[in-house]
Amino acid sequence: MLIEIAHFLSILSTGLFFICFIFSFFLNSKDIFIINLVSRIYSHSFFIFLSSFFVYVWLAISDNFSVLYIAQHSNINLPVFYKISSIWSAHEGSMFLWIIFLTSWGAVYNLSTSNDQLLKARTLGVISITSVGFLLFLLLTSNPFETILPVPPENGADINPVLQDPLLAIHPPMLYMGYVGFVIAFGQAIAFLFEGKPEIKWEKQVRSWSLASWSFLTLGIALGSWWAYYELGWGGYWFWDPVENVALMPWLAATAFVHSLSASSKSSILRIWTLLLSILVFSLSLFGAFIVRSGIIDSVHSFANDPERGLYLLAFIGLLVMVSLLLFSFRFNLLLSNKKIASLSKESFISLNNIFFGTLIFSTMLGVLYPLIYEFIYNQKISVGAPFYNAIFVPITLIACIFLYFSIDSKWQQSLNIKSLFQPLPISLTFSATIVILAFFQFSITNLWTLASLLIGSIIIIRYMIVIYFYFVYRKFTNIFSVIAHCGLGLLIISIALNDNLSSERAINIKINETEIYKDHQITLKNLRMVPGPNFDSVKADFLIENPNGKTFTLTPEKRKYFARGQVTTETAIHASFLKDIYLTIGDQLDDGSWIVNIQFNIFIRWIWFSAIMMVVAGLLLAHSLSRSRP
Amino acid sequence: MTIFIRFIIISTALMFFTFFYLYINDDKYYPGADFTTSNMPDFEIKDLYSERVFSVKDLDGSYLINVWASWCITCRIEHGFLAKLESNNIPIIGLNYKDEKDDAINWITKFGDPYKYIIHDYKGELALDLGVTGAPETFLLNDGKIIVHYRGEVNDMIWNDVFKPVIMKENIFNAN
Amino acid sequence: MLIKIFLFFSIIFSSFTVGESLYEFDSIEDEKRFYTLIKEIRCPKCTSGSLASSNAPVSEDIKSKIIQLIKEGKSDKEIKEFLSDRFGNQVLYNPGLSKDTYFLWFAPGLFLMLILLFFFFRKRT
Repeated sequence: MLIEIAHFLSILSTGLFFICFIFSFFLNSKDIFIINLVSRIYSHSFFIFLSSFFVYVWLAISDNFSVLYIAQHSNINLPVFYKISSIWSAHEGSMFLWIIFLTSWGAVYNLSTSNDQLLKARTLGVISITSVGFLLFLLLTSNPFETILPVPPENGADINPVLQDPLLAIHPPMLYMGYVGFVIAFGQAIAFLFEGKPEIKWEKQVRSWSLASWSFLTLGIALGSWWAYYELGWGGYWFWDPVENVALMPWLAATAFVHSLSASSKSSILRIWTLLLSILVFSLSLFGAFIVRSGIIDSVHSFANDPERGLYLLAFIGLLVMVSLLLFSFRFNLLLSNKKIASLSKESFISLNNIFFGTLIFSTMLGVLYPLIYEFIYNQKISVGAPFYNAIFVPITLIACIFLYFSIDSKWQQSLNIKSLFQPLPISLTFSATIVILAFFQFSITNLWTLASLLIGSIIIIRYMIVIYFYFVYRKFTNIFSVIAHCGLGLLIISIALNDNLSSERAINIKINETEIYKDHQITLKNLRMVPGPNFDSVKADFLIENPNGKTFTLTPEKRKYFARGQVTTETAIHASFLKDIYLTIGDQLDDGSWIVNIQFNIFIRWIWFSAIMMVVAGLLLAHSLSRSRP
Repeated sequence: MTIFIRFIIISTALMFFTFFYLYINDDKYYPGADFTTSNMPDFEIKDLYSERVFSVKDLDGSYLINVWASWCITCRIEHGFLAKLESNNIPIIGLNYKDEKDDAINWITKFGDPYKYIIHDYKGELALDLGVTGAPETFLLNDGKIIVHYRGEVNDMIWNDVFKPVIMKENIFNAN
Repeated sequence: MLIKIFLFFSIIFSSFTVGESLYEFDSIEDEKRFYTLIKEIRCPKCTSGSLASSNAPVSEDIKSKIIQLIKEGKSDKEIKEFLSDRFGNQVLYNPGLSKDTYFLWFAPGLFLMLILLFFFFRKRT
C-alpha cells in the first residue's frame, strides 16, 4: 500500500516538473508573476518527490519485502544503517538517489536565489526537464517501486558483502552530490544562451554552487579511492578502471571550470571558455551515468547490463547535450569580444590551464573509448590501462604545475613583467632542490620522474609559504583558499610520486608462533580464532608486529564467510602512521598448515587523501565565503 | 572561423553519440569465442587412467579438446551434450584440469565417458599454455592446429553458431 | 586444536590447494619486477582488474608462471609476449606501439599542440 503511494508521488512530481519546464520556457520568463509561479511549482514538485523517497526509506527500514528491489538488496539481519544504504547499492535505487540529489540542488538554488533574477525561471526549467528525463528513465525502465505480490518473501537476499561498509555507504551520495550539483551552472548557462543578452553576469551567480559541487566531487572520488584501498585487499588506490575514469573526467572539467569561472566573473574574460566548460562538466557527468548504467563497459563497478536502458539513456542524454551544444554553437559569438588578455596576466595562465585540462580530458576519453572502438571495428579485444594514462598524465600535470608556479604572482588584467616572474625562483628552487637531493641520498631515489615530481611539488608549496610569509610580515593580500588548494595539489604530487617509488610488498609463508622478518620489522603470527558476526562467520589472525624501534602493535586481518550468498571476503588490517601504512591480508592455507600472508608497506599513502581533503576544505570555504557576499 | 568551430563541435558530438548507438546495437559475436589459429603447444602429460604419456604428436589430426573437472558444476550440465556429440562420432579428447585423480575417475564413472582418452593435467601446465582460464572450455583442432577456442559451456546453440560453421567450411570430421 | 582449526578452514574455504611454494625470488630486484609486472597484466578471467587485484585460480597460476620465467632469466618483454601469445593481446594493459595504436599514443600530444597553435594564431589576428 505504502509502496503504491510512493510510486504515485514520484509520478505526480514528474508531471509537475514537466509543467515547471513548460511554463519557464514557453511563458514570459521575465514576468515576475511567472517566475514566482515557476519557483513555487518547483518547490512543490520537489517536496512531493522527496516525500516519495522518505516513504521508500521507511519501507526499507521496516523490512517491507513486498518491494522487489528491497527484497533483492536488503535483509532482516542487516543493521539499520545498511538497510538504508542498500537502497543505493544497485541500479534502480541509486538512480532514485541520483534524482533526489539533482532536484535537491535545484531546490537549494530555488530557495536562495531571489525571484528578481532574470535567469531564474529558465534555470529551474532546465533543471526540471533534466529531472523529468531521469524520472521517466526511472519509472519506465528501472522501476524501484515494483512489487512481489501476492506473497512477499519472508526475508530479502543479502547485499554483496563487499558493499557492507560505512565508507562505501557514503561514497555514492558524495559523488552524486558532486556530479549533479553542476546542473545549476548548466541550467544558468542554457538560460543565459537562450536569453541571448551578453550583459547578464551569470558567472557570478553560479560560483558558490559550482565550488561546492566541485568539493563534493573531489570528496566522493577520494572516498572511493580510500575505500578501494582498505576493502579490496591489494593495496591500490587508483586503477584507471573505466568507471573511475568517467568520474575523473567531470572532475577535470569541473576544476578547469571553477578556474575559468573566477576569471569570467572577475574580468569578463574567457566567457566563452566558461560557457563551454559549464556544458562540458554536466555532459561528462551524464556521460558517466550512461557508461556505468548501460552495461557497455566491463567493470567491477558497472550496474545491470541492459541494452534497453542503455538506449534510453543514450537518447535522453544525447538529446540534452546536442541541444545545449547547438545552442552554444549558434550563440557563443555574442560573447566574442575584442578584450585582449594581457600577457602573463592571471587570465592568460588560466587560459593555458584550460588547454592543459582539456588535453587531459581528451586523453582520458580516448583511453576509455579506444578499446570499444577497436573491438567494434576489428572484433578483437584490446586493453588500455595504467601505462597509457600515466604516460599522458604525469608529463602534462608536471608541466601545468610549472606554469602554476609562475602564475602565483600574476594579477588580474595586468601584465606581469618577466623580472618579477623569476624573482622568487632562487629561494624556492634552492629549498626544493635541497629536498630533492635529500630524497636522493636518503631514499636512493633515482627515477627521474619521481625526482621531477618531488621538485615541482615542493617548489609550489615553498612558493606558497613565501606568499604566507609576505602576508604576515608585509600584510600583502593573498587568497587563502587558493593557497590551501594548490598546496594540496603540490602535496598530492609529492605523495603519489613517493608512494609509487618507495612502497613494497611481499607474500610470506608463516605458521602459528613463527616469526618472519620484513624490512627490519618482526612479524609473528600469535593466534587464530573463529568469531561469529551479525551475518557472517569469520576467522581472525592476530599478528604481533615489532618495528625497528622496538615498538609493538597487533594487526588482525580476517577472512569472512557470509551466510546469505556464501561469499568469502578478506578484511585487511592496516596500521596507519604519519609516514607509512603497514598493510596485512591473509591468503590461503597451505598443505603444511602454514598461511600465506601478504604484507605491504605503503609509503606516504595517507598524504594522498589528506591532500584531497585540503582541496575539499579549500573549495567549501571559498564557496561559503562567496555565498555570504552574494547579492 | 565561427562557422568552423560550430562545425567541429556539432560534428564531434554527433559522431560521438552515433558511435554509441551503433555500439549498443551491434550484434556481438560470441565474446567467449576466439577464432585465431595457433599451434598446439608442446607437452608431456600422463593419461588419467594409465601410465601412458601423451605429447603433442598424439594430437595430429582433427579433434575437440574439452577442458573439464569434477569440481566444475557447469561441466556436469555440458556433459549431456558431449555425450550426444560422441554418439555422432565426433572425437573428443578430455583435458582434466587441476583435478585429483580419484575425483576425476569417480566423476567419469558416475556420469559416463564421452572422451576418446583423458589427459590428466593436474598442475594445469598444458592448460596455461593453451590460455585456459577455467572450466569448461573447448578447443577445435584441425590437422593439429587450434582453430577455435571457446570459453564456456558448449550446447546446441553454441555448437550451431560457433563450431558448426567452421567445421562445415573446413570440412572436418567428414562434415557431419 | 590446531587440527580442528585446520579442518574447519578446509571445510569453509575449500579453495584449491595452492600446492607448492610461495613467491620466492633470487633477488630484491626480481621481487620488485614481479610486483610491477602483475600490475601491468590484466586478469584474463575477471571483468576488469590486474593480476595483482585478483585471486582467481588462473591468476595465481599465471603469477607462479611469471615467477618461474623471472627465475629463468626472461625479460619483462619476453614474459609479456609469453602471456599475450596464450591469452590474447587484451591481457596487456600497455597495448604497445603498433600501427593499431599510433593514434592512441600520439593523439593527446597532437591535440595539445593543435589547440596551442590555434590560440596562438588567434591572438595574432
